[in-house]
Amino acid sequence: MVKFLKPNKAVIVLQGRYAGRKAVIVKSFDEGTRDRPYGHCLVAGIKKYPSKVIRKDSAKKTAKKSRVKCFVKLVNYQHLMPTRYTLDVDLKDVVSADVLQTKDKKVAACKATKERFQERFKTGKNRWFFTKLRF
Amino acid sequence: MVAAKKTKKTHESINNRLALVMKSGKYTLGYKTVLKSLRNSKGKLIIIANNCPPLRKSEIEYYAMLCKVGVHHYNGNNVDLGTACGKYFRVCCLSIIEPGDSDIIKSMPGDH
Repeated sequence: MVKFLKPNKAVIVLQGRYAGRKAVIVKSFDEGTRDRPYGHCLVAGIKKYPSKVIRKDSAKKTAKKSRVKCFVKLVNYQHLMPTRYTLDVDLKDVVSADVLQTKDKKVAACKATKERFQERFKTGKNRWFFTKLRF
Repeated sequence: MVAAKKTKKTHESINNRLALVMKSGKYTLGYKTVLKSLRNSKGKLIIIANNCPPLRKSEIEYYAMLCKVGVHHYNGNNVDLGTACGKYFRVCCLSIIEPGDSDIIKSMPGDH
């Protein structure tokens, strides 16, 4: 009886182009909106995971391997698998519902989330989120 | 094996309680609605039949773990669970939203 589809929850996208990718809930719309009369949420996820970084790598190589590609999407709750993990990255100012209206706003939001994800990956925290789900 | 064997008395009592919920409470039957009830945290108890596919069973249990909702593994298959609900179809999983007059929520969770 505890709500778990809340912001900062790590989820796995199940359907669509990004199926199998991990994402984090930025904003949830439990009751839906006029355009989407079902429960859905705004997620920011990883389109391309960072590669494995080893100690032998030079600084340039580490930087190249730690690159993350992101996506921002509105997803139906039915097409998500919630997990017990959370990701405390503050994306509320960067990602909002109006970001998806124009392409350049979306690109800017993806770039900003990319920065945030990359710096979080470099600290070594939330390792589960940045590893690819094998299936 | 002996511990898992349910006595006839407790099995009957679950059936009685379930019948009371069907009569006086609110419930949903079926996998899709069970997940829906868990997502919007309306479900209070989930009952899963014993021949539920293991992937589906794990998925429902995982959702229930996130929700902190009890899951009861019914001692019978989906045919039996449907009969226990008074329906003429098979029910693999069901979610109790309002127990009504029944005390199924107070007496059932805790056993897994």
